[in-house]
Amino acid sequence: MHTQDFPQLASVEQIEQGFESYGYICSRKIATAVFLACQLRKPVLVEGPPGVGKTELAKTIALLLDIPLIRLQCYEGLDEAKALYEWKYGKQLLYTQVLKEKLGDLLQGAHGLAESVAKLHQFGDIFYSEEFLEPRPLLKAMQQERGAILLIDEVDKSDYEFESLLLEILSDYQVSIPEIGTVKARTTPMVFLTSNNTRDISDALKRRCLHLYIPFPTVELEERIIRSRVPDVDEQLRHQLVKFVHSLRQLDLKKAPAISETIDWARSLLLLHAQHLEEELVRSTLNVLLKYEEDIEATESELRALVSDRLVDRQTL
Amino acid sequence: MQSSLVNFIQILRTHEVRISPAETLDAVDVATTLGYADRSLLRDGLAMTLAKTPEEEVIFMHCFDRFFQQDLADFSAADIAATVDEEAGSSPPASAAQQVADFSAAQAAALQLAAETNTTLQALLQTPLMQSLISNDRTELTLAMNQAADRVGLQQIQIFTQKGQFTRRILDAMGEERIRNAVISLEQAESPALAVLQRYRDILREQVRDYVEREYLLHAEGKTRQFMDDILSKTRLNNIEHIYLHKVQELIRKMAKKLVSRHSRKRKQLKRGRLDMAKTLRKGIPNDGVMFNTYWRQVRKEKPQILAVCDVSGSVAAYAKFLLLFLYSLQDVLPKVRSFAFSSHLGEVSQYFDDYPVEKAIELVNWKYGGATDYGNSLMDFAKLAMDDINSNTTVIILGDARNNNGDPKLDILQSIYQRARQVIWLNPESRRAWGSGDSEMLRYQSACHFSAECNNLRQLERIVDQLLKSTR
Repeated sequence: MHTQDFPQLASVEQIEQGFESYGYICSRKIATAVFLACQLRKPVLVEGPPGVGKTELAKTIALLLDIPLIRLQCYEGLDEAKALYEWKYGKQLLYTQVLKEKLGDLLQGAHGLAESVAKLHQFGDIFYSEEFLEPRPLLKAMQQERGAILLIDEVDKSDYEFESLLLEILSDYQVSIPEIGTVKARTTPMVFLTSNNTRDISDALKRRCLHLYIPFPTVELEERIIRSRVPDVDEQLRHQLVKFVHSLRQLDLKKAPAISETIDWARSLLLLHAQHLEEELVRSTLNVLLKYEEDIEATESELRALVSDRLVDRQTL
Repeated sequence: MQSSLVNFIQILRTHEVRISPAETLDAVDVATTLGYADRSLLRDGLAMTLAKTPEEEVIFMHCFDRFFQQDLADFSAADIAATVDEEAGSSPPASAAQQVADFSAAQAAALQLAAETNTTLQALLQTPLMQSLISNDRTELTLAMNQAADRVGLQQIQIFTQKGQFTRRILDAMGEERIRNAVISLEQAESPALAVLQRYRDILREQVRDYVEREYLLHAEGKTRQFMDDILSKTRLNNIEHIYLHKVQELIRKMAKKLVSRHSRKRKQLKRGRLDMAKTLRKGIPNDGVMFNTYWRQVRKEKPQILAVCDVSGSVAAYAKFLLLFLYSLQDVLPKVRSFAFSSHLGEVSQYFDDYPVEKAIELVNWKYGGATDYGNSLMDFAKLAMDDINSNTTVIILGDARNNNGDPKLDILQSIYQRARQVIWLNPESRRAWGSGDSEMLRYQSACHFSAECNNLRQLERIVDQLLKSTR
């Protein structure tokens, strides 16, 4: 994948602008990572808390470049038959049936076993050939003519063995199929791996990737994100709700609300025709932000302080 | 620039960011792609190839800012400017810079004047060092200083006592000797230019000293830590000073992490066993002998279990602490650990480790069970609590010095544990020579253990835990 092919990725600034036009507001760091990934043809390992837009990043690039997004969701027990390729057993069986019927015609005129075998060898063996290969996401990404965005989602959920399987693909963009040989990528795909850090990724895999850590955004950035995603929320409310979410993240919660939750909350407040944050309103919509009962309970006791804090903030505005 | 990138990576390595040669190449690629013009862009880009975890990124940012700090050394010395300001008094401040320039011009002239009668000074004024000092050419001087530092190998600096030595060597390499000689000859001639030249010399010395100080902080910090880790892992655990405890805990975490990565790969066993041919055939009969479904023999899953029994009496408490810290840092790969603590009596303390962070739990355990040791009594308690749970998948680790204060050792209980358990490991912080001396029952207890070892520093502890991990699954 070259920059000549994709003028959208020619510079860091252009990437930022391109993303913004698709509603993905990103920090400079993210744009730099994408730029480098494209220039150096290296996969990007994206880490960060859930809901900060790791998967969204890959989707947006696919939109921006107008090339297919191929997604592989990892889970425990994922193996090469599901990730890489599988033989079309049914068709292979049919093929042998057909061959059996034709065998008489093929071997006509051959005397003795040795001669028959020799004759048989003259026919190409297509039992193991690309026709009978069922490509799974990884192989499919290699076969795309114009390149593709390959998203290997939540790689930390997969097994160690699967990581080793990825190594060949990520460093050389090729796949070895024992029966056929090595399949090289037609156009180097752009690879994104995401991880929620539930376990440590092996050093070998990390070494091959650019490492991008996406933290929770700053207030300013998050406000821009809300403005782009939920444009109808008026400025004052937007400021209040983002600040509220930020102060929630300071609390000791089991799962801190992420950007996706902030967006959902902004949408729900919009539906409720809220003009500004009030304690009762926040209390009744808290379940949009917090996903654990304990978190909601812990927050409710401090809600008054948090909201009044915001109200003061509003008066000073 | 490339060599300074490599130097930078060297420094990151001493700060415990692991960077392979391949990553170095990547970093060079990144630097060429992004260029050196935009500092923050370059920093972010390099961070992506060199730092692999958020923690490493913090270290990276810290080192980057220190290493690539672009302040040129200032050889004009601010105090001169200040005196000039005072002298100027009521004159408008806008011309202060002009005055500084005038001032150095005047000084240069004074030197020139003196040089006419003094050959040493004359020769000195021709040298590039002196010329750039007089014109305050900061780029040139900083460059000369860096080159001199390279020549004398400043990167090797390790301890603070070397600072003076390196300052001297850099000064020599820059040719400071000639200034010194000129100063001496001016002194002999009692020339009025003496003060001027002395000032230049002092400025130079001060700048080099500052530079060495900065480099020392950058290079030596990491090396000192490596040295410290090495020493700590070889020191007897109860000799470690209290202030280093948190460092030891960090070290244990690091060791545990290494062991986790070494052993976690093997954990996954094949879920199904061998093909059960007979059953597959039998089940195929209704389908005209075509074996549609395959049947597999089940693998019986073993559930390994570890019981850690720790003596927390005064003499052994420090060791127990580290063993427990180690075992609980390994929760990812170790099967369920149950822990027991005893001195005069024994109780299960697993609950504390579920409820509190490890350090806190250990403190609580020490507080609750500390006292004088009675092995016999404690073994009886242990038998009551856990004997029924000990089976061929259980590993029992006992940590203690086996000093029973001449009480009944109750060896028969340990023997029955020995017969039931998969293995009994006894870790003794005393050296092997002391086993069996005085009131130590170690030799008798040893007869009822599969494995007994001396264990009094982290290195030994790591080795034993490594073996434990190998044998438990």
